Amino acid sequence: MQRLLYLIQKEFRQIRRERMFVGIIFIMPIFQLILLGFAITTDIKNVSMVLVDEDHSAFSRKVEESFAVTTAFRYLGAVQNVEQAKQRIKKGEAQLAVVIPYHFERDVKSGKSPGMLILIDGVDGNSAGVIAAYVGRVAERLQKTWLPKSGLSPIQIKNLHLTELRTRMIYNPNLKSVDNIVPGILAILIIIITSFLTGMSIVREKEIGTLEQLMVTPLRNWELLAGKIIPMIAVVFLLLNVGILAAGLIFGLWIKGNLFSLYALALLFSLSGLSLGVFVSTISQTQQQAMFFAWFFMIFSILLSGFFIPIENMPPLIQLITYLNPVRYFMIVIREIYLKGTPIIYLWQQALAMTVFGIVMFVLAGLRFQKRLG
Amino acid sequence: MNTKPLVVENLKKSFGKVSALRGVDLSVDRGEIFGLIGPDGAGKTTFIRIVVSLLNADEGAVYFQGKPVRENIAYVRSRIGYMPQRFSLYPDLTVEENLRFFGDLFGVPLKIQKERMERLYRFSRLGAFKDRRADALSGGMKQKLALSCMLMHEPEVIVMDEPTYGVDPVSRSELWEILRTLTDEGRTILVSTAYMDEAQLCDRVGLIFKGEVLAQGKPDSLLNLITDPLYMVKTPQPHRVYFELLKHFEAVDCNIFGNGVHVIDRHSVGAEQIAKILKQSNFDFDEITPIRPGIEDVFLKLIRTANPSAKPEQRGELSA
Repeated sequence: MQRLLYLIQKEFRQIRRERMFVGIIFIMPIFQLILLGFAITTDIKNVSMVLVDEDHSAFSRKVEESFAVTTAFRYLGAVQNVEQAKQRIKKGEAQLAVVIPYHFERDVKSGKSPGMLILIDGVDGNSAGVIAAYVGRVAERLQKTWLPKSGLSPIQIKNLHLTELRTRMIYNPNLKSVDNIVPGILAILIIIITSFLTGMSIVREKEIGTLEQLMVTPLRNWELLAGKIIPMIAVVFLLLNVGILAAGLIFGLWIKGNLFSLYALALLFSLSGLSLGVFVSTISQTQQQAMFFAWFFMIFSILLSGFFIPIENMPPLIQLITYLNPVRYFMIVIREIYLKGTPIIYLWQQALAMTVFGIVMFVLAGLRFQKRLG
Repeated sequence: MNTKPLVVENLKKSFGKVSALRGVDLSVDRGEIFGLIGPDGAGKTTFIRIVVSLLNADEGAVYFQGKPVRENIAYVRSRIGYMPQRFSLYPDLTVEENLRFFGDLFGVPLKIQKERMERLYRFSRLGAFKDRRADALSGGMKQKLALSCMLMHEPEVIVMDEPTYGVDPVSRSELWEILRTLTDEGRTILVSTAYMDEAQLCDRVGLIFKGEVLAQGKPDSLLNLITDPLYMVKTPQPHRVYFELLKHFEAVDCNIFGNGVHVIDRHSVGAEQIAKILKQSNFDFDEITPIRPGIEDVFLKLIRTANPSAKPEQRGELSA
């Protein structure tokens, strides 16, 4: 135990002395938050749209009006039929076409589920998703403000659904993408730091030959492993807090939920990253190799985490694969806690998944580490 | 029970199809410097890594103070001092921090650490640099620091893999002096090197080539393996002279050196006859003198005898 403390002390000495770490802990989160927070925007303004009104009723005109007054849309006017609307989208003149079918008003009044056809330019899948959500919001507004005044009975209104609502809007009512991106960046920072730095710090000792020297001391393998991991956890926590502060000061986005819940789950999540780092160190001889391998795994885990691309937008097979990605779970956790203030109890599924991944990865990487040294 | 510091029996190790060690036997006595001498790729590092418990042998056994290493890893690791081939210290820690760290790892009490550090500073002359970062030290000083780190727990047996590799001549001789002081204190040292001239600084040596120990014993007694007269043909064109001599002598007996060719005259041809042969073919040479064989002559003879067909360039790199 004593030896482990000495190892950790040594590790901290090296961290303190390495200028890179100061940069990583303090500059990197701020830089990434500012750059990515402002640059990656999935906010969409001035969606050009056309409308086909086959119903020509009072209801359909109110739908048209609702779209026309919403700032998110630039209403180009009505077109004759669906075919023309499709043409406009194909030519790139409109991104969105709303088709109000014949008997729309009658269906609403008789309590049937009235359908409205929404055509969206799907060239950019992300934008398309956001546009669909915008349409959903307009529909929701119609439902809330306009239908009670339409002379329908409350039962009829209750059975009426203009569109299905996306849960995303519940916690991000502005549909402001920065709110989504910022907690995401914190998650990404954690996985990058844990896997890269752990891997590199072990491989560095391999490179300079001290690992071999340490092996021929009374130091046990698990002490060696713990001596590498514990200081890294400290670094990650420092960095997470710098990130939380920066997000608050720069974007005014403060954590809604319990900070300690986030800490606890971040710790659980770190285990996966640390294990990845240890694993990477067992397959690398040089720091360059470690960087390369860590980056290789990182690309997958970031892209398949739901950070940039909503997982619902991915093909079903890929969606299945994302379940193997620990970042996916933490991405949900950090957004939930950050934006919705979700209590930790409701995140038990994600916590469980991260625990399973953390433990399995840690055991596998640890065993491999033992074997490589032995 | 055998309580020699190190006993190695029939050690074999292969990596895939390559046999790194083909049955090595040797033993190191208490208080001696045993030199394992051989070219790069001879199997020195593999041998040493097995001895210090970092690698498992395919066959054979290593006994450390009478205990089999494989079953007593913790015992061995806390009592052996191992210095790998590369400088193994932390470049971003100071001299003192490096020493302290290794002292701490071996559980040396702080008070004793202080005493030992003072002693190590004295003989390594690193005292003046104790607050300097290790990466700011010269190569020779780095090596002395690595050695000092390894001595913080005062190991009874010291194993070093090519400690003088790439170290300047002055630091090299200093290092050997330190090793001698250590054995005078009763410690045992196993050291590997590719430098033939370092053989004379060891109490006993083993000549290793292609995973086999060709001969072992006191350096002087190994020199007696060459009983025939040995001549040195001094010439500015050693290569051409060498090929001319091959026409008259067996390949086993001729070796190119930097300043000429060494010829083992096993049929007692005599210096005059050799001179005559070369003059007949109009070869330039300065003089032919009888010389005392060196370890390198012995080594080359043993290699040639073991692999008669080996050409000079296949004999591996030898450093005189």
